[in-house]
Amino acid sequence: MRRMTVISIAIAILATACSGAGSPEVTDVWARTSANMQEAGAVYMTINGGSNDDSLIGVEVDSTVAARAELHETTMHEGEDGSEMMMMSPLASIAVPAGDDVVFEPGGYHVMLFQLTEPLVTGAEFTLTLDFEKAGNQAVTAEVRDG
Amino acid sequence: MVLTAFSAAVLIVASCGGETTLAGIVRDPAPDVSQVALPDVASDGEDFATKADPGRLLLVYFGYTNCPDICPTTLADVRRSVADLGSDGEKIDLAMITVDPERDTPERLNAYAQTFFETAHALRTEDPERLTAAADAYGASFEVTLSLDDVIEVAHSAFLYVVDESGHILVQWPFGTSSEDMENDLRLLVEEIGDV
Repeated sequence: MRRMTVISIAIAILATACSGAGSPEVTDVWARTSANMQEAGAVYMTINGGSNDDSLIGVEVDSTVAARAELHETTMHEGEDGSEMMMMSPLASIAVPAGDDVVFEPGGYHVMLFQLTEPLVTGAEFTLTLDFEKAGNQAVTAEVRDG
Repeated sequence: MVLTAFSAAVLIVASCGGETTLAGIVRDPAPDVSQVALPDVASDGEDFATKADPGRLLLVYFGYTNCPDICPTTLADVRRSVADLGSDGEKIDLAMITVDPERDTPERLNAYAQTFFETAHALRTEDPERLTAAADAYGASFEVTLSLDDVIEVAHSAFLYVVDESGHILVQWPFGTSSEDMENDLRLLVEEIGDV
């Protein structure tokens, strides 16, 4: 029984070490300064895929920043009359292939922030927690930049 | 007639030197939006007709304040392009028309639009027919729907329009147009109205 526990712990440590080595790397995390009365925000970033294929399956934001956060994508949507419109859709997961860059940028993927608690002011920073299916949680710091 | 005047305008623009062509989309003939007038919550709800004041240009945008990605990107980019124009930028005004009047209260819309242009016109009507007629005149489209879990979803065409004092659309920029391209086009169009 004891041996079993030791082995389990050893495996857990090993697994953590391995995923740590090849975890996705997140860079250039930023949000635009919010406009007056703006309640919704968007966060952009670049995710460099780790040594294994992974998926981003969730995101959380501190309640002092916004009520909640979701993974979103802006896409083209065809209206009933055939006109092209842009709209946002929530995503359950975003694939992060090994070694590839997944870019979150205006008009594409973004983390949507709902009900901003306070305006996002240029130069401020806040923490987002990204949940990767294999690599687990990763806290990243977003910088608010002048739009 | 409009076509001829517009062609002449393009020729004038083409003779200005530097980057001589407009980066945005020029429609032929230039659509007439001078009949579009909606209540301006920045001026006590008085109707504002979407045409530029004499000697100026008017930017017109259909958007909504709960839009975290497309609208602030476009409005921040055009704000930067206008700032980079220096004194020519002082000849440019903005009118934002909300496609989501239910959530965009007058106070919210006005405060939001003025973040980008201090003197912005904030146009809002709760009459769907007036809003649709305005969008149709521009060739803009929008849909506000309720998802299965009661979340308001807004889809909208994402052009920013440049309108002259006669109420014609001189150029329109799709989402993703760089602030440099907007600046180029505004510089050419401001030179053109200066030459008339």
